[in-house]
Amino acid sequence: MSEKKPQAAPAKPKSFGWIAEYVDEHSLLAASRKVRDSGYTKTDAYTPFPVHGIDEALGIKPTILPFIVLGAGFTGLFTALILQYWTNAYDYKYIISGKPFASWPANIPVAFELTILFSAFTTFLGMWALNGLPKLSNPLFNSERFDRVTNDRFFLHVDSRDKYFNRESVKDLLAGTKPESLEEVVEDSSPTALPSVIWLGLGFLFCASLVPVAVVLNMRAGNDENPRWHVFFDMDFQPKKKAQQTTTIFADARIARPQVPGTVARGSLVNEDPFYLGFDPTKQASLNAANNIRLVSAADDKAEKPADTAPDTASEKSATTDPVKADEPAKETPAANPPAPTPTPAATPAAAGGPNLPWITEFPLEVDASLIALGKTKFEIYCSVCHGYAGDGDGLVHRRAEQLQQGYWLPPTSVHDPRIQAQPIGNIFYTISNGKGKMAGYGTVLSPKERWAIVSYVRALQRSRNANIEDVPVEMRAKIEEAKKAE
Amino acid sequence: MASISINPREIDNTVELPGQRAPLITGKQTFNSVTEMVCAVAEKPQPMLWYILFGFSSLTALMFVSLIGYLILTGVGIWGNMSPVFWAWPIVNFVFWVGIGHAGTLISAILFLFRQNWRTSINRAAEAMTIFAVICAGIYPGIHVGRAWLAFWLLPYPSLNLWMWPQFRSPLLWDVFAVGTYASTSLVFWYMGMVPDIATYRDRSKTPLRRFIYGILSLGWTGSSRHWLRYEKAYTILAALCAPLVLSVHTVVSFDFAVSQLPGWHTTIFPPYFVAGAIFSGFAMVVTLLVPVRAIYKLENLITLRHLENMNKIILATGSLVGLAYATEFFIAWYSKNQYEGFTFMNRAFGPYWWAYWIMVSCNVISPQLFWFKSLRVSPIWMVVICIFVNIGMWFERFVITVTSLSRDFLPSSWGYFNPTMYDGLMFFGSFGVFMTLFLLFCRFLPIIAISEIKGIMSIEAHREAHDKARASGGSHHH
Ligand code: HEC
Repeated sequence: MSEKKPQAAPAKPKSFGWIAEYVDEHSLLAASRKVRDSGYTKTDAYTPFPVHGIDEALGIKPTILPFIVLGAGFTGLFTALILQYWTNAYDYKYIISGKPFASWPANIPVAFELTILFSAFTTFLGMWALNGLPKLSNPLFNSERFDRVTNDRFFLHVDSRDKYFNRESVKDLLAGTKPESLEEVVEDSSPTALPSVIWLGLGFLFCASLVPVAVVLNMRAGNDENPRWHVFFDMDFQPKKKAQQTTTIFADARIARPQVPGTVARGSLVNEDPFYLGFDPTKQASLNAANNIRLVSAADDKAEKPADTAPDTASEKSATTDPVKADEPAKETPAANPPAPTPTPAATPAAAGGPNLPWITEFPLEVDASLIALGKTKFEIYCSVCHGYAGDGDGLVHRRAEQLQQGYWLPPTSVHDPRIQAQPIGNIFYTISNGKGKMAGYGTVLSPKERWAIVSYVRALQRSRNANIEDVPVEMRAKIEEAKKAE
Repeated sequence: MASISINPREIDNTVELPGQRAPLITGKQTFNSVTEMVCAVAEKPQPMLWYILFGFSSLTALMFVSLIGYLILTGVGIWGNMSPVFWAWPIVNFVFWVGIGHAGTLISAILFLFRQNWRTSINRAAEAMTIFAVICAGIYPGIHVGRAWLAFWLLPYPSLNLWMWPQFRSPLLWDVFAVGTYASTSLVFWYMGMVPDIATYRDRSKTPLRRFIYGILSLGWTGSSRHWLRYEKAYTILAALCAPLVLSVHTVVSFDFAVSQLPGWHTTIFPPYFVAGAIFSGFAMVVTLLVPVRAIYKLENLITLRHLENMNKIILATGSLVGLAYATEFFIAWYSKNQYEGFTFMNRAFGPYWWAYWIMVSCNVISPQLFWFKSLRVSPIWMVVICIFVNIGMWFERFVITVTSLSRDFLPSSWGYFNPTMYDGLMFFGSFGVFMTLFLLFCRFLPIIAISEIKGIMSIEAHREAHDKARASGGSHHH
């Protein structure tokens, strides 16, 4: 680097002293000792690698760098400890895994790392600072031969600023050490100022670097009606729609989609399968749809025709969700004929109350002796207290209530009531699940299978009052005959 | 320019002769011939192979950078990270690269303190490799945090938006400090070591631009004895600081695992085991890189077979340590009678990831044992093959530790099997592109061998030789 120079140069280049060149470190060391012994102190040796013994040969004092680094190490250590204490035990306390706020063992790693970090950077920067580097301009670089100092040559320099410096005597002294070459170095006379292009460039870069800062500060400080700039979206904008919003994707513009026909939503089987309901929800849906159409056409026709069925359908619709009395007679209830011979027609029952739903009439599970036995057990546990063991409505609770002449006591309905006998099995299942009038529901305590088991047992009880001896298997008949005789 | 040409096959400094020190560098070298040899790497036109490799690796690096862009715009969901394995490849790759990044500073610092003079031929390239590996490592946690543009939240700065401070009781934050300190300290150590050699480049520059750039980078270095003295002192201090630092980094990385409660992670063996593994993989990477470098740039006289052999011995030693650690883990799992540890280790070896475990064992435990044979230890081809296997094994070690433990935690209902995506693979591959690109640029522009250090050692060796000769001939030698 020869283009820069610290001092303004006069017309005649000023001497910077002599440099002597040697081919090996031994001659350099010998020459150094000689120069030192001659009393020169502003001297230095320049070598391609650190030559051992040169400090003694030139009389160089050891560096204070280690002490500076020691100080930096302690600074790093205390910085880390204070930082960790202040942040986690004072300024921003929070409990994590039950560790204490000031957890010294947990602070060791960071304290260690910061000690090293501070020491290392102090070593690095301190070494350059003590060496007066970077110093890109040096009169020595004016010498062509000096280029070999970083390759294989050793130089000894006696500075012209030395108190005893005398051009001729120094030359003679160095010549006496048999150098490879001997040269007088002159101060650099090239201009010191940086070219204006570089200044312009730097100035431009500086101004340009202020722009983003200014923009950010302006945005932080100022008020703007527009939303802030989103360099990163941070999930603020998501390609999604919320319920009730419109869309162009579907023809009906609704973002909330109806269920795809023939599918069951996760967890909603209990609302889809007659096994859990006692009625057929798809039929129910189509009935509703028919009602809705009637409702719409009724509204349309209102002007011309007087309303005929509109109020009824409205109440019928509400009956599908909560079991309030439907004041309309049951229309073609699907398969209202019970398996047992029914003494009364099926047209009347709904009038007694309860929702009118498309009840199922076939058991949605296999009915066998074990199911009826399970039904008997559960009936006797849960129902018999009110309805009695035979279902006549004369259970213990009922009799006690009669005894006490409880005025508000509503007698449990007998399962042998013709109206109940005529009920489809789905309806009875529904009564057990959700209750009826004064009777509470048992859906929460009995599994669907247990409820169907009770239904099958109720059917068996009902059948037992309407059977004749031919219905009993042949091998069992003798038993019944015997029991009859015993009476 | 005519550097001494001696067929490196004719001189074998791996032979031990009684009463004689093996030469550290071979051929009759002078200070000038060393300068010539090293400077030729950057001054002569690069071989065709360099351009091919550079083209390939820079494209790969470009792919990596683009994928990072895609990841930032899309989210970490492009990776296979999925409950219960949320750490997966990004952390595996992080530990893999950080481990590789241990060799450089170990060679420069610890071998320096132990006065292992042979380190001078290899330390520069190893340090460069360290820095490039740490760069690759640092990328992964940075992009794994999800919102990479907020990764600076890891730093303890007084925030006006957050009103909170980082959690200093967490090993993940220790990691930020450890890796950050390691990266920056290694960088200044590397750069400081290079300054005198960059000055050599500067003084040989033929064009003003070259002279200008190397001039700036060499900070006006003149080789002044006063500067050298402070420089050497600083170098020793830095070495003394880096030696514990290099051990601390992988210790802290291992804390990321060991401080947690997960079976297979929560063990006190982790710090030494991780450090041994890191040295193991780092040396393997140095050997893998230096064997082709010395062949391509004809540096066989400086990076001699003996250097490579020494490194292979270290690989053998650390590989055996790693094998011992694997065995110890199993022993403790059995001996502790801890059913979770027991399950974890049986699951590692025989569970769904058995293949990864056995790749790890065969690459890390068995392959380095081949270095007991001198013929393999001094054969460049064999050592590269073995070292590549070592690094495959070390990647799998981190995979086994991270993924097997996470995929089988205390709660069987959350167990899962990790499946990487295409992006996991491409991004891991891409990080090699970054690594190789940086390394090739380093070879092209910077002194890949510590020229001044070699000369210093040559001087010491010559001195010692003269001393020995004088003693042998009965005379006395004075300095
Ligand atoms: C706490 C007493 C009590 C218990 C226990 C009880 N019920 Fe009832 N049950 C009643 C009363 C009261 C009524 C009449 C409710 C009304 O019409 O308001 C009734 C009505 C009924 C009806 C007729 C529903 C209709 O359509 O009118 C049936 C069928 C029935 N119960 C079956 C059962 C079954 C099966 C069980 C056992 C799971 C059971 N009950 C448990 C008190 C009880």
